[in-house]
Amino acid sequence: MSLPAGFETLEPFVVTWVAHSASKRDALRTFQSAESRQAFYDAMKPLLVPALERLDTVPLAVHSVEENRLMLLTLSFAHVALAVEVQGPDETKHGINRQRLPISRAPADI
Amino acid sequence: MQIGNQAFTAVQGEDVAFLGTRPIPAKPYYDPDWFEMEREAVFRRSWMHIGHVCELPESGSFIRRELEVLNASLLIVRGKDGQLRAFHNVCTHRGTQLVEEAQGKRPTFSCPYHMWTFGGDGALLSAPDFESFGLDKKDCALKQVALDVCAGMIFVHLGNNPPPLREWLGDLADQMETLPVARATTFSEYSYNIAANWKLTYDNFQENYHLRFIHPRSGRSACGPDNPFGYPKEYAFHDPHRTQTIWTNPDPQPTETIATAFARLAPRAMAEGLMEAPHGRKYFALFPSFFMLGTPLQNFVHVVYPISATQSRGVIRLYWVGEDANASERFGREAVMGVAREVHSEDIAVIEAGQRGLSSGALEHIHFQTQEALCRHLFNMVEAAVNAYRAEQTA
Repeated sequence: MSLPAGFETLEPFVVTWVAHSASKRDALRTFQSAESRQAFYDAMKPLLVPALERLDTVPLAVHSVEENRLMLLTLSFAHVALAVEVQGPDETKHGINRQRLPISRAPADI
Repeated sequence: MQIGNQAFTAVQGEDVAFLGTRPIPAKPYYDPDWFEMEREAVFRRSWMHIGHVCELPESGSFIRRELEVLNASLLIVRGKDGQLRAFHNVCTHRGTQLVEEAQGKRPTFSCPYHMWTFGGDGALLSAPDFESFGLDKKDCALKQVALDVCAGMIFVHLGNNPPPLREWLGDLADQMETLPVARATTFSEYSYNIAANWKLTYDNFQENYHLRFIHPRSGRSACGPDNPFGYPKEYAFHDPHRTQTIWTNPDPQPTETIATAFARLAPRAMAEGLMEAPHGRKYFALFPSFFMLGTPLQNFVHVVYPISATQSRGVIRLYWVGEDANASERFGREAVMGVAREVHSEDIAVIEAGQRGLSSGALEHIHFQTQEALCRHLFNMVEAAVNAYRAEQTA
């Protein structure tokens, strides 16, 4: 398994939604289809708090590969949740404008 | 004017009457000749924010910053003595720009053209065949620029005889020192290029009149039945700067994930004493083109850098105290950056639409209402600076 135990239902989303910079996570939000975003959102939302609580038990610097993948999924969810919960039907138009504000730095990327 | 029920009263027209009520000339928002005067009258005579001390943690740390409005490339360096200094990024031999990298760490800076080499204090250390110039090395140091720090933020001044930074900032300096930015060790950053005048761009971010129309989804929490426009509680004027105190919506109804994100940032803020922020609801608008919102969980700085009369560049940073402590904080910071960017993304297109309209020359004047008092104040300050500059030039 590529994720910590208890998060098996997220396995189908690892290939698409694990990205190693905030800029790439934002691009996933923008360029994945509405169906793909919704499927990831639906799977991740009930597991967000359990995932953070699980990951908080281990210092970030010593996260295992599996824990790091789960961390990166929660970060992609931070972007996708804005698409689903805030923008809704306006997400496509918003994505066009959002691309004009590239992210150059985020603490998670350092 | 009363807005809604008794829970919120907007700032009254008489409170800002001293700013005047005249229509504002449209030309300064697109005219290249006016912009040329602003370069000298406004930007060469103002302290400008260009970075944060956390970017220069060690001796030899440097950042390069471009200030297009003054055609300047600046090199900011922490020297061996721990002091921060700013220099023109220009070799004193024949003017070649010294550094291409945006940031890094070096003990010395060598010009790629003829290898003149400078120390972190700007002194010329060595130059091949230097004796052939008949010069003294002490006369060939990098050209220094005034630099000072307030609340961890680095400001530079490219004019003659600048006032001390804290004198320029007045009582806002001590207020900003209480905010997270003063203790920040890291930050998130995003930026934008916009086909719009710097004042038109900046004005968008110092009035809430547009919130309900341009941000019907992302700005929902900023408005409520008591205050449908999300107007601020208070405006204050500290010439040439100004502030507004944002209204606290008693029922903001954030989405579930946004609420989770802010909640994950609260433990650190409480532990660091950041939640007891006397100026945490204040929007600082420093002349000419700096904003900062001081909220404990989303302390962001937004600077609009002019490029031409109708081109600007915006840089937004969210400052954080301490490295990510755990997964929850890492998630919270990523999400809260997204929340701010969500709003800013929605502004760019409408600002550019305004610029196209103004640049057409169709209007002689534009209009500001009471709740756009900060926009009026900015124009008044800019106009006064330009008029003073003109008078000096003709004297």
